[in-house]
Amino acid sequence: MAIRVAVIGNPNVGKTLIFNNLIGGKAHVGNWPGKTVEKKEGKCVHKGVEMKIIDLPGTYSLTANSIDELVARNYIVEEKPDVVIDIVDSSNLERNLYLTLQLLELEANIVIALNKFDIARDLGYEIDVNELSKLLGIPVVPTVATTKEGMEELKDVVLKAAREKRKKRKIEVSYGKKFDELILKIQRAIEKDEELSKKYPTRWLAIKVLEADEEALKIVDRSTCKHEIVNQLLEMKG
Amino acid sequence: MREILGEDAEVAFAERRYAVISEILPKVLKGAKPLTRSDMLDKALLNKYLGIPIFLALWWALFRFTFDVSAPFSDLIDMFFSWLGETTSGAIANEQIASFLSDGIFGGLGGVLVFLPPIFFLFLGLAILEDSGYLARAAFVADRIMYKLGLHGKSFIPMLIGFGCNIPGIMATRTIDREEDRILTILVNPLMSCSARLPVYILVGGAVLGGYAAAGVYSMYILGIALAVLMALLFRRVIPYFKGKPSPFILELPMYAKPTLRNTLIHMWERGVLFLKKAGTIIFLGIIVVWLLSSYPWNAVHVEGEFLLENSYLAMFGKTIEPIFRPLGFNWMGAVALFFGFIAKEIVVGTFATLFGLQAEEAEEVIPALKSSGIFTPVTGLAFMAFTLIYLPCIATIGVIYRETNSWKWTLFTVIYELMLAYVVAMAIVWIGGLLGYA
Repeated sequence: MAIRVAVIGNPNVGKTLIFNNLIGGKAHVGNWPGKTVEKKEGKCVHKGVEMKIIDLPGTYSLTANSIDELVARNYIVEEKPDVVIDIVDSSNLERNLYLTLQLLELEANIVIALNKFDIARDLGYEIDVNELSKLLGIPVVPTVATTKEGMEELKDVVLKAAREKRKKRKIEVSYGKKFDELILKIQRAIEKDEELSKKYPTRWLAIKVLEADEEALKIVDRSTCKHEIVNQLLEMKG
Repeated sequence: MREILGEDAEVAFAERRYAVISEILPKVLKGAKPLTRSDMLDKALLNKYLGIPIFLALWWALFRFTFDVSAPFSDLIDMFFSWLGETTSGAIANEQIASFLSDGIFGGLGGVLVFLPPIFFLFLGLAILEDSGYLARAAFVADRIMYKLGLHGKSFIPMLIGFGCNIPGIMATRTIDREEDRILTILVNPLMSCSARLPVYILVGGAVLGGYAAAGVYSMYILGIALAVLMALLFRRVIPYFKGKPSPFILELPMYAKPTLRNTLIHMWERGVLFLKKAGTIIFLGIIVVWLLSSYPWNAVHVEGEFLLENSYLAMFGKTIEPIFRPLGFNWMGAVALFFGFIAKEIVVGTFATLFGLQAEEAEEVIPALKSSGIFTPVTGLAFMAFTLIYLPCIATIGVIYRETNSWKWTLFTVIYELMLAYVVAMAIVWIGGLLGYA
């Protein structure tokens, strides 16, 4: 069976270029169902394994505030692609890693492509790729999309990641004792709704509920766990 | 659930994520980032404390530039219309046609067109700020304040453009993602004092405020900003549709660039030409209507070589609507000017120019004529300026508001709230002026 790979990243990181490199230029362009956001899909065969690659809209974060972000996030949550390639601009790690952290929370099976690696080097950056990989607990591949450097390695790592499937990620952003406890309580409440916890990463959903994310609130609103969550929140407020 | 949650968690969570990133970064990132010139500029321009004073200073410089540089050009246009008026009235025997051409067309239109240079220079200055990459930074600096005020950071540029003209300002709201934020920005955009209102301030302020004329003009801009902010806050609180907070603002700062002459001129021309088009169509027609109404019935108005404006159709109409404006201290002339001003605010000036039966030879004399007519005191003059600022966007702006909100409800809402606000503010000015002992 083909591996399903999604490509995501901030705007202007060379995402489309990498997508085109991976599929060799033959993209099928359509629209996301019911949305005006463009949807691009393509195929690539690497070492005898077929990969179906999908290009997600470029976003800085994964809130429910814009259609682009919702489309990207719903695809990852609902379609659960085997691997998500997170394209990161090496010359602007700070901003780009924000999306990476959110993808980790979504419990996606992430591979980082450290793109524009040449530009970062020219600017005088030295990035410790292994250390970054270790700290985040996910594979990291340096790439230069314009010269197709690192593309074969990227495909290798994607294949490997797909085989290993999701394992529990090492890094979990701690939001401080007070919030962590609250997140855990809400997470437990959500887990009582089996259907919900099968569909969504429960910690992510708990965080989104606390962030008053509109979509997350809608999801919880329909669930049997709503009552308990409201109680927890009221308790917090005292 | 929304109500219990508030917005603390979202901000706290975002901060924590950045904290985690800044813990990771030093471990994986080596090599000091070399400071480019762009970075150094940003350090100053985006500085927490310096950013806003720098913006205000640049904005002030822009206005000085606009007024100082454009003055000689305005004089040139004035001279041109003087020559045109003299030549035509001298060449035409028929008294009615001569009056129509010199008082109506050249007087009214000339009175409006002298403001062409300041408008073009304002747009030139804006184009330079925009093309150099500064305007995006100004939006960034302003976001912190805008967010607190319930507006979106991206609302800032549409508001800035609104100082030129509200129409492109309203169209620029398309960059705002959330529909609620966008509509809110559209609703308050007409309060940004556009360049069409400037002639009115200069005219009325120059006539009645004496040495405080410049301060009066600046105060109108500040008043517009303050009201926009207040209204935005109010709408956010009171109208359920706008409840909630603006979505977070992420802006990719463009590289600094030396503006190219060609692009800057194109930018200036594209915006400035809208004023020219307006002058040639709507303002032109409005002035003709005002001239017709103020010159007829011909025999009642022109008695034995004297011009009796009091007998004109315009005076009859003006006196009918005058009671509405009487609490504000405006007489029928002010009422008529405001009435026609909703077509385009420049017509307020054009109306006064025609009303005083001025010959085109001295378009600059509208100010002394208005002064000696005594229809405004300093206080009612200020109230008139404020009323002009707030009362109604022009017809074209109303059209764009409808097109961009796609809703008669919001369009009508804008018209009504601005009328009410204008009345209340003008009344407040008159009332406070009275309390302070000015009449």
